[in-house]
Amino acid sequence: MSPNKNTSNLPSSWLWGAVALGALGVLGTYASAGPERFWANWILWFVLLFTLGLGSLFIVALEHLVNAKWSVPVRRIPERLATLLIPAVPVGLIALAALPVLYPGTRPEAAHHPILAGKAFWLSLPFFSVRTVIALALCILGLWVLVGGSLRQDTTKDPAFNFKARKFAPAFMAIFALVITLVAFDWLSGLTPEWYSDIFGVYVFAGAFLSGLAATSLSVLHLQDEGRLEGVKGDHLYNLGGFLFAFTVFWSYIGFAQYMLMWYANLPDEVIWYKVRLQGAWRLITIALASLHFVLPFFALVTRDAKKDPRRLRRVAYLMLGAHTLDIYWLIFPILGASPRFSWPELSFALFFLGGILLWIRGAMQKGEDMPAGDPFLREGLEFRL
Amino acid sequence: MPEITSASGTGAMPETAFAAEGAPMSDRSFSVLGVFETPDALMKAIPKVRAAKLGTVEAYTPYAIHGIEEALGLRKSPLGGMVLVMGIIGALTALGFQYWISAIDYPIITGGKGAGSWEAFIPIMFEVTVLFATFTAGLGMLHLLNKLPFFGHPVLSSKSIKGITRDRYVLAVEAEDEAFDSAGAAMALRAAGAIEVEALPAPDRSPFLTSDNILRALGGIFVACLVAGLAMYFATKWFPLLKPMANMQDQPRLNAQKPSSFFKDGHGMQQPVAGTVARGHLPTATGTQDEAASLVNPLPRTKEVFALGKKVYTNRCEVCHGAVGTGVGSLTAAYGAKPANLQAQQFLDYPDGKIYWAVVNGKNAMPSHAPYLSEQERWAVVHYVRALQRAQNAKDEDLKVATR
Repeated sequence: MSPNKNTSNLPSSWLWGAVALGALGVLGTYASAGPERFWANWILWFVLLFTLGLGSLFIVALEHLVNAKWSVPVRRIPERLATLLIPAVPVGLIALAALPVLYPGTRPEAAHHPILAGKAFWLSLPFFSVRTVIALALCILGLWVLVGGSLRQDTTKDPAFNFKARKFAPAFMAIFALVITLVAFDWLSGLTPEWYSDIFGVYVFAGAFLSGLAATSLSVLHLQDEGRLEGVKGDHLYNLGGFLFAFTVFWSYIGFAQYMLMWYANLPDEVIWYKVRLQGAWRLITIALASLHFVLPFFALVTRDAKKDPRRLRRVAYLMLGAHTLDIYWLIFPILGASPRFSWPELSFALFFLGGILLWIRGAMQKGEDMPAGDPFLREGLEFRL
Repeated sequence: MPEITSASGTGAMPETAFAAEGAPMSDRSFSVLGVFETPDALMKAIPKVRAAKLGTVEAYTPYAIHGIEEALGLRKSPLGGMVLVMGIIGALTALGFQYWISAIDYPIITGGKGAGSWEAFIPIMFEVTVLFATFTAGLGMLHLLNKLPFFGHPVLSSKSIKGITRDRYVLAVEAEDEAFDSAGAAMALRAAGAIEVEALPAPDRSPFLTSDNILRALGGIFVACLVAGLAMYFATKWFPLLKPMANMQDQPRLNAQKPSSFFKDGHGMQQPVAGTVARGHLPTATGTQDEAASLVNPLPRTKEVFALGKKVYTNRCEVCHGAVGTGVGSLTAAYGAKPANLQAQQFLDYPDGKIYWAVVNGKNAMPSHAPYLSEQERWAVVHYVRALQRAQNAKDEDLKVATR
């Protein structure tokens, strides 16, 4: 999802080729594999794109919120990654066409369903669309203030931006909580509207933050390989690795808390969601998800040296991006059937979107300064020691 | 608090007492302090003093100084590994305790979950992991690595201590053996730029956990337990009306066969919630008794099955149907209805499935026994009823089997 070691050698034409080839497969999916498969894939990539962008924007806002100095030298990386929210807008608006296909709450018969009737207004197609548009607009607002302001500061060198961002950050955190909860509830748990979980927004947030962190770590390591980001040391990497480590635990804590309560209460509406994920091939995917998203990265990053070892950190970052993809796949794809679908349509979507995301990130990484040159705390951040 | 950074654990130096008042330079000094005015001066002095190789080099500073661990050549702390190992031991301990209690020693099915459900163990495992890990981190850091508690460190009563807690940066060369060259250490420190030099005696590291102290602590605990136990014994003996802990005795629990004010119908015993099935109890067969006639008893005729059937029959059937199934039980007189005589020709001709159906669904005045009997118990009692019938109508070959 972010440039890996080889993409610097990989010519852009290859990425364009991947996008073109993927686009053919995407069209073919709609024509031959049916709209349900097509839209499930589309939503998977919309959510991945969105969580990656919003998770990165969250890192930026967090720095302003707590007035962190250590992360100033690497802040431009999540700022650039957060611009993925711009392509997420058209992808999300196109995804609205999936509502009548995949979302039972938007269909007219939902009004007669004993559980859905009470939620009918909330789940209805117009209100669902309005919420999505509002969520995307709020993201762009956050992007404009935090990232746009930071980019403008490169030339103006005006420290007023730091105060403005510090004031805006708490408001953004409230916006962030609202937006990620709306998207999680609407786009992911809305696929099975009878099922309901209070903590689901937090669960998706944990994954989004992890994917933002992993992409940031990977991009930092990649730019360092190119000899850029001079002055970013193992101490900075250690903090990124520490965040990654901590949030693998947070993700599993939330994920398990959600599972355990439902398992204990054993209410039919709730357990059905887990039942389909704990039977047959989905059971293997559930076990793989717990292993790849928690056990493996936890033990890979548990020691102090591992968190600042570039090779280790790079591998774990790739792993976390893969695990986050698997996580969203695990949330969406059981609606298509008891056996997990994975073949050429999924690969085509991956080619199309991964190629596009990598092209976007590559473009973003070439623009402007690699560090927020106008930030008065840049030097303090560069001198950061553990 | 001054930052105390040690280059290596210092061994105990017996026989060295605190310096007396007014005599800071004892002839057997243990360490020499050199005072520096700036952290930069201290950092520059460290390699020079270490190069002299006169003893262990330590630094005392008012705050943490970046890079000082590397400059002093500190080894990596073993604490992280200790914490990891103890955390894993904590997780396994909690897992083992819970699994043994709930799956091996005293398996009770609660909430419809099977015995030894790992999901329920996770929160406890998490807590015990954290408990073991934090105790290891705290005690390991304080006691094992920093060798606390001990009765006092001479640096705390040195002349330099005020500076260390304020604006001075102190380097100490500590003795590693008896042949400590304190004069050489003082010279090395001065050569490295120290503005003041001070010699100190060894810290009083007389051990805290001596065998005497441990025995005293154990003795104290023993006496306290003895006193508490005797006091409780005589208190309950002399004041029998005094219930020390009545909560267990007087709890508002539900008793089977007893009335209760908790439920609307006033019974302590309740029918299962509609639509639920207890673990191991298959849903009750619907359909008519004639439809059940074709069911085949899945259990083999073994001693264990007959023993189980006898137990079920004794507990559930005998009060009405009688010990041999003739329909004359101890409860019969209390009811107007006459229980079936299972030895009647009608029931001798019954297929197994029809008897099973009656056990599960009840018949006439007989209630359903499905909620109380597992699928196995239901079929086992059918075998037992068959055995009762056969016993009353034994054939010649049965006798041969019995006498053989």
